[in-house]
Amino acid sequence: MTISAAPTTTPAEEAPTVVTVVSRKAPVVLSIFTVGLALVLLLGSHDGDTTFRLSTRDDLFQLPAVTVPAMVTAWLLVVVMAAIAGWSWALTLRERPTPLWLVALFTVAALVSFLAWAAAGGTIPVVGLLGGAIALAVPLVFGAMSGVIGERAGVVNIAIDGQLLAGAFAAALVGSMIGSTWAGLAGAAFAGLLVAVLLGVFAISYHVDQVIVGVVLNVLVIGLTSFLFSQVLAPNAAELNSPPRFKAIEIPLLGEIPVIGPVLFQQTAVVYLMYVAVAVIAWALYRSRWGLRLRAVGEHPKAADTVGIKVNRTRYRAVLLAGAIAGLGGAFYTLVSVPQFNREMTGGAGYIALAAVIFGKWDPIRATLAALLFGFASTLQGVLSVIGSPVPSQFMLMLPYVVTVFAVAGLVGRSRPPAADGVPYVKG
Amino acid sequence: MNRKTRAVAGGLATLLATAALAACGDAPEEDNDSGNGSGSGDSASDFIPCIVSDAGGFDDKSFNQLSYEGVTQAAEELGVEAIEVESNSENDYGPNLESLVSQGCQAIVTVGFALASATKESAAANPDLEYILIDDAADGGEDGETFDGQPDQPNIKPILYNTAEAAFLAGYLAADYSKTGVVGTYGGQPFPTVTIFMDGFKQGVDYYNQEKGKNVKVIGWDGKDGAFTGGFEANNVATQTAQRLIDQDADVLLPVGGPIYQGALTAIEDAGREIALIGVDADFYETDPNTQDVVLTSILKNMKVSTYEAVKQAGEGDLDFTPYVGTLENDGVGLAPFHNFEGKVSDTVADELEQIKAGIIDGSIEVTSYLEQ
Repeated sequence: MTISAAPTTTPAEEAPTVVTVVSRKAPVVLSIFTVGLALVLLLGSHDGDTTFRLSTRDDLFQLPAVTVPAMVTAWLLVVVMAAIAGWSWALTLRERPTPLWLVALFTVAALVSFLAWAAAGGTIPVVGLLGGAIALAVPLVFGAMSGVIGERAGVVNIAIDGQLLAGAFAAALVGSMIGSTWAGLAGAAFAGLLVAVLLGVFAISYHVDQVIVGVVLNVLVIGLTSFLFSQVLAPNAAELNSPPRFKAIEIPLLGEIPVIGPVLFQQTAVVYLMYVAVAVIAWALYRSRWGLRLRAVGEHPKAADTVGIKVNRTRYRAVLLAGAIAGLGGAFYTLVSVPQFNREMTGGAGYIALAAVIFGKWDPIRATLAALLFGFASTLQGVLSVIGSPVPSQFMLMLPYVVTVFAVAGLVGRSRPPAADGVPYVKG
Repeated sequence: MNRKTRAVAGGLATLLATAALAACGDAPEEDNDSGNGSGSGDSASDFIPCIVSDAGGFDDKSFNQLSYEGVTQAAEELGVEAIEVESNSENDYGPNLESLVSQGCQAIVTVGFALASATKESAAANPDLEYILIDDAADGGEDGETFDGQPDQPNIKPILYNTAEAAFLAGYLAADYSKTGVVGTYGGQPFPTVTIFMDGFKQGVDYYNQEKGKNVKVIGWDGKDGAFTGGFEANNVATQTAQRLIDQDADVLLPVGGPIYQGALTAIEDAGREIALIGVDADFYETDPNTQDVVLTSILKNMKVSTYEAVKQAGEGDLDFTPYVGTLENDGVGLAPFHNFEGKVSDTVADELEQIKAGIIDGSIEVTSYLEQ
């Protein structure tokens, strides 16, 4: 392993080298967070107790709710955070990296401290908080998987939002007509695939700038679905826009584990499908022939071509598969959240999914975690605004986006996209 | 290569054109009628009433729909053809108004607070046309801060609703109905026309606590700020916001803002316990049969009637431009029947609500809102 001093390398040079210098980023960031939270506690002192409710009403094993004095707990945890930050400094001075588990511990301490402070005098339903994070993240995760597959193959997919929306629309329409949630799900995948066909034709066959095609496709889908909604779906809502809903299925045993059970294993089929999709994609991308070829055409299509991989055919397959996956994510809106389609109901989730792809460094697992982070921040916003927070609601609504921007810009650092991402392959 | 580029350019142009057409496809639908409509009409007229929706669309089962019904009823009685235009986003407001003006509309109903500034602009540019603006006083003045209750343009008739009065009754009812002692509300965005519901609702609950010596809690609105979904789409955010209220033990929900109540419906379905919903604008029991099992009551804004009356007046040429404020007294706002909840609410509450209503009308019970500062 070599130590690289050059901050940038042009694509013509060799692939960028791995940097193993122990950076000071971890201790600096941890210190900033500790000081920041301490300032927040100093400026806005809240009296009262905070209750963390660990069980829902119908759990088999009822855990007692934990009630703690708000300020004392918050300050104690700040001390813990300071200790971890100090430890991180010590490690850095000895040129050793800060281990991940320490950062994770710090994050948990920071979060609980903040919650204890913000919810003083109120109750934090822990299960609701975590379960809500998943519910809000589902379309984002599907969208991010779609983005990862497309970009790993070298095709930038800005049209994720369009694919989600098309999926939501088709799921509502097909689900209502046939009266089956599974048919709706299939319809959603097909609709996402149709959008992907357009993307593929323009981006792969005709070498159009992929960002522009993506944006145009998003506008096209918004226009088309809004038009069809007001002309076809809305006047015949009973027949065409009232799909059945997926019911939550509790997985035996797993579903009864306190906290984790109701959060992860009392979900709908779409969510279980998401678990499977993420696992399969994460495995296949790195361990299967399909994944190797996919990454090859995204990194160095010429080399792939030389060894006989059909670049454009591989890209087409990837883009179509990605479209179908995003379509499935769209189905969550109309088959789980609200059993009817309405205009622009994704609310730009596809763009957040795109951010999750970059935040997750084009890796399925990390992109999923990024999507979950956004979901968690949104739910946190919801919980705090319901129990009454000192921050104005307009600012609270910005919270998830602020978290995402900071996470992408600050914590991730330089992330390297696949080398041929967004570059059409022209033979010769 | 050249051929390919051209093919692509052509393809993209087609895509864009489709998108553009789809985006405003519903707007010019009445183009032909407007030409013939005036000719074929009998003596009544070349009067053309028009209506433009906000982004919610005329099928929102809520205030766009009610206003639209009012306009069509008036048009029918006047024997004329109304022109309607739906806005798909806030970018459509100005262009839609312009298109209505150019189609020869004489009275234009603009539905919603969000259209206020577009309406003012159009009214200033066309002083001989009549505008009926719903849910805003159009009194921002030059600086946008005046709020003197007088419309900035003399040709705008504002139609306003002091929904806080009806929401007060709903709050009292909700507090009386709640078994958990927690009632919740959430809105789409913190617009005055949204928060006025939440405000009145909280005052009603507070009044109940004061009268009965109880301690029913309102969550989602603290008198100044509260829980919002950030938009008026029925999607997973709306569902999750309702879920957050249910997590805090609320057993009565008041979602304010067009279709976001759909999210509350699914959250209630998933909650597995009995949670009641309070509708806004229209009687949900009538407009959305899916709600019949859960809707405790609805806070009504009688938009159909007030829009109908204003358009009728305009058609007869004697539109009175003084602002109309719907109150409990003039039945501009009110509370819907309990329907399926008739047997579930306490026996005395109906009478108590009648008394409170009388108290609000005669001024002995004070309900504050942004309309009467």
